[in-house]
Amino acid sequence: MKLRKASWWLISLTLILSIFLTACTGNTSEDPKESPGDDGKKEEEAAGPQKGGDLIIGSTGAPTIFNPLYSTDTSSSDIEGFIYDGLVSSDTEFNPTLSMAEDIQTSEDGLTFTAKLKKGIKWHDGEEFTADDVVFTFSIPKNPDYNGERGSAFEALEKVTKIDDYTVEFKLSKKDASFYPVSLSYYILPEHILKDVPVAKLGEHEFNTKSPIGTGPFKFVEWKDGEYVKVEAFDDYFKGRPNLDTLTYKIVPDMDAMIAQIQAGDIHFAAGVPGTDIETVKSFPGVKVESGLGLSYTYLGYNQKNELFKDVKVRQAITHAIDREAIVSSVMNGDGKVAHVPESPLSWAYNDDVKKFEYDVEKAKSLLAEAGWKDSDGDGILDKDGKKFSFTVKTNQGNKVREDIVVVLQEQLKEVGIEAKPEIVEWSAFIEQISAPNWNYDALVLGWALSTFPDQYDIFHSSQREEGLNFVWYSNPEADKLMEEAKQILDQDEYKKAYADIYKMLAEDQPYSFLYYPNVHRVMPANLEGYVFNARDDFYEIYKWWLKK
Amino acid sequence: MLSYIIRRILMAIPLLLGITVVSFAIMKLAPGDPASLLMDPTISPADKARFMERYGLNDPIHIQYFKWLGAMLQGDFGTSLIRKGVPVIEMIMNRMPNTILLMVVSTFLALLISIPFGVISATRPYSKLDYSVTVTSFLGVATPNFFLGLIMIMIFAVQLNWFPTGGVATLNAPFSLWDRIHHLMMPAFVLAAADMAGLTRYTRSSMLEVIKQDYIRTARAKGFKENKVIYKHGLRNGLIPVITIFGLMIPSFIGGAVIVEKIFTWPGIGLLFVDSAFQRDYPVIMGLTVISAVFVVIGNLIADILYAIFDPRIEY
Repeated sequence: MKLRKASWWLISLTLILSIFLTACTGNTSEDPKESPGDDGKKEEEAAGPQKGGDLIIGSTGAPTIFNPLYSTDTSSSDIEGFIYDGLVSSDTEFNPTLSMAEDIQTSEDGLTFTAKLKKGIKWHDGEEFTADDVVFTFSIPKNPDYNGERGSAFEALEKVTKIDDYTVEFKLSKKDASFYPVSLSYYILPEHILKDVPVAKLGEHEFNTKSPIGTGPFKFVEWKDGEYVKVEAFDDYFKGRPNLDTLTYKIVPDMDAMIAQIQAGDIHFAAGVPGTDIETVKSFPGVKVESGLGLSYTYLGYNQKNELFKDVKVRQAITHAIDREAIVSSVMNGDGKVAHVPESPLSWAYNDDVKKFEYDVEKAKSLLAEAGWKDSDGDGILDKDGKKFSFTVKTNQGNKVREDIVVVLQEQLKEVGIEAKPEIVEWSAFIEQISAPNWNYDALVLGWALSTFPDQYDIFHSSQREEGLNFVWYSNPEADKLMEEAKQILDQDEYKKAYADIYKMLAEDQPYSFLYYPNVHRVMPANLEGYVFNARDDFYEIYKWWLKK
Repeated sequence: MLSYIIRRILMAIPLLLGITVVSFAIMKLAPGDPASLLMDPTISPADKARFMERYGLNDPIHIQYFKWLGAMLQGDFGTSLIRKGVPVIEMIMNRMPNTILLMVVSTFLALLISIPFGVISATRPYSKLDYSVTVTSFLGVATPNFFLGLIMIMIFAVQLNWFPTGGVATLNAPFSLWDRIHHLMMPAFVLAAADMAGLTRYTRSSMLEVIKQDYIRTARAKGFKENKVIYKHGLRNGLIPVITIFGLMIPSFIGGAVIVEKIFTWPGIGLLFVDSAFQRDYPVIMGLTVISAVFVVIGNLIADILYAIFDPRIEY
């Protein structure tokens, strides 16, 4: 008896294995690359956008919460962009444009904004969008019980009042240049659903994760934790029904998995594919890549609490000693642009009429000599008062380009007699080490993603040293003053002029060596139409996208 | 037997407590905190500070531990710091079925393949078959599962398109059992591979030992068929050390699941573990630690019970 059972075991095992094999071969006929939109819909005129199709978007980040007043990560805000809309949005040059507002008037003193709302906008549940929703949304961060992290965007806002069903008035307590482009761009939440929820409980309400309702182009369908978030076209979207039927925001653990899945056709659209992999991705069939300058910059920051970097000449000398062109061309395969100021060339506020520190080893050496650094013991490393010019350059683990750059910096700085030792630290530990109140680093390589509205206050103003993001301890009273004044300027041209001076000072002082602006790459189906590149928004005007059959 | 099981469970309690103390300490000693994800000029330092305060992250570590322990003993694992307000238990329960499915299937796969192959190579020692099983299992032991997983994805998913690259089911498709099985095959195989190889080796050497025993000769002398001798008299005794090894392998299944889930985008607790660790989502990390520790304790208990079943000499 037992005996027969055992041999059965083996036989059934072989059978199972062979079932697996045949079934697998049978499956090759199924070509996943055809999947986007290939659901046998009737042919339409080639002239206009064709309706239909499902797009699978890959992301290495997982979303957390779909409420713009509480979310702090990119994946969540990607999905919020599908579901919600704001009064104001921005175009490809980051100028503010009207979205759900029909008109916004600013008072003479710049302290009152009156917004007229578009009529006939519908929430996903059919209710009409009115001034109540706007008042409700903007009152949340002003409520003392509010416990999200977005309060600072509404700091200047004093009072928001409903004038009539389609008019809202915002009263500010002080002038704030960013109120119109930033605060008014926050997505609006539905008052008719959330009005009875106490503000203290709003951040943890089910609405945020299980049933978000917005006025945006896509309706929330479901969120499978760790797998995907699915949304479907909203028929009554006020800018017109999206052409795509559904979007599936698929979560993948890392970039390797993402690339394999793009190749296998399991993912159709992906942002954030690194430049080093882009040539590989371009060779996949049925895939195209759109590239452009990203709205960010990467820098080498100096801890100015450290005696080594207090002297501006030393910082300038190091910038002279760094061959940034070589970094862009060799480390990044030419996939970027050398930076001179902390603002993107894409922005309307960009101005590079500043002092530039070209690659010049001799000049670097003479600047260092002026600062009192010389190689007195002949070991190839500069010294001063018995101290060697030696420091560590930290960067975060996981960013291949930055990891390479710290090694290249070590080589390049050796040329001028500076020893720069690379150190790569895991992200969370890295942030704790470098930021307040530890400032435990000498120099670091890091990047900033820029806001659509240019404002350097949070990063370079001396008031932000003790606990803010000025963790390099840069201080220039003159620049401080200019940055404070700029906050009061509501006119875009005036603002740009003010910032031209600020950039001049920042470039002269070199609190960072501005290294480069990286390119960003977006992988998409070869038949995707209607896509427009926007450096800040991977899914710019996604309701216009369509798949050509 | 029952009193033994109860005794073992009672003994597990201090062990689990010890595990929570050590894990909590290690987790807190790691530099960084969940607020490090809020590195954003649009978030003010005051907001960050309030975040830390609100979740009691500024309290001394022992206070934090006892707060956590107190709540946990009442069945409350807290809420995620990153996924605001979502109960940890809900996050884990969402993922648990996937991990259990993967573990159970790969465990069966490992046993189903390794024991017969181990027995076959023991009954025909130094034959060609034995050598090929030996070489294959050494290869299996020597290949780390992340490497095997990546290679299999490259070949079978990307190049040949036989299998999906990852996930539990095809997106935008109605539920189908075959689709689920199809997605399960590669990850289950990869997770099973290393242990499969080890188990084959253990079965082989243990069987070789048993076959030389007197009682096997006696059984043969009684005129039993060779298969009956091997499988009834031999295997039952030969499996005893294998069960010990198997019990010890259960933690490695959980550890392996972390890697395999990441490679195959398998939304189980392993993947959740990795993400939570990087985000410093302390309540989730602790919840997962407790649950995996319970798994390991139960796994070892089952191994001990199986002992008694397979070896009549053992009584509890």
